[in-house]
Amino acid sequence: MNTDLLAIALLAGAANWAFRVLPTLARTDRLTPGGLLERFLSATGPAAIATLFVAAVLPELSGGKGWPLPFVVGTLVVLAAWGTTRSVVIATLAGAVLHGATVWALG
Amino acid sequence: MTGTRPPLADGLIAGLPIVLGYFPIAFSFGVAATRAGFTGLEAFALSAIIYAGASQFLALALLTSGAPVLVSAFTLIAMNLRHVLYGPALMKAAGRGATTRRAWAWAFGLTDEVFGQALGALARGQSFSEGYMFGLGIGAYASWLAGTAVGALAGGGALDGWPAVSAGLGFMLPALFLALLLSILSRRQVPVIVIAGAATVAGTLALSSTSGILLGMLAGAAAGVVRR
Repeated sequence: MNTDLLAIALLAGAANWAFRVLPTLARTDRLTPGGLLERFLSATGPAAIATLFVAAVLPELSGGKGWPLPFVVGTLVVLAAWGTTRSVVIATLAGAVLHGATVWALG
Repeated sequence: MTGTRPPLADGLIAGLPIVLGYFPIAFSFGVAATRAGFTGLEAFALSAIIYAGASQFLALALLTSGAPVLVSAFTLIAMNLRHVLYGPALMKAAGRGATTRRAWAWAFGLTDEVFGQALGALARGQSFSEGYMFGLGIGAYASWLAGTAVGALAGGGALDGWPAVSAGLGFMLPALFLALLLSILSRRQVPVIVIAGAATVAGTLALSSTSGILLGMLAGAAAGVVRR
């Protein structure tokens, strides 16, 4: 085992554990009813999901070739499936399947 | 997050899109690691210990470029700083009575996708359960490890003959984030979402994708503080 790799993995892994676990255990949400921190934390979730969605689709849209058809189809299917089923699981799977099917159909 | 099934099973089922989305990414990581000259065991160790996709790919680049250990480690640590926001935001949504007795274990699994899925479930009115969090996290972690192992064993080009499958699997995470965004969407959240999205685009184009993600989250959360 490469010792540099192991050292980097252990340092980064320990930090990841601390970043994810310690703020959860700290229960800062209980300390600030109605305060700035409470509003900040309430908005963090929607902001994070919006950010991650944009970050996930940017590489596909930044090639300068417009919106690729499989992306458009997949996105529309997610919207339609969510609208009809209100299920995150079904909407996600349907979008991915139709995205792949469009790639297959386009050859 | 409790329904008719045990919470653990509920979490495992709700995590299915994450499981399917993680496998091909981890598979790519296993392939990239072995291509970079690392053994399958080393690739697996990176996935098991760090468990953060983008920073694992960066770790490969840093290690192969000969960057000093401490510089590499702090670069990876900085990349994952955004995760400090997830636990408090999740527990805020879970409510003051939610327990965190076993958070030392399940919270390690609070990746971007697990956090988003858990938050979406709470926004849809489910109640918080540590069992559900374990279910979400275990499926995702197992998929990440399995994908890495299979990718390291398969080597390069395993999905080259299946472009449609590869494309569909690649769209799994954008589709998941879009579905999660729809599940939490409300008029009240629109300014937060718009500002977060715009800041992500600006940060990514001007600086880097990592900076864009951090800026987007902070700008969106700050918008939540200033709105009436």
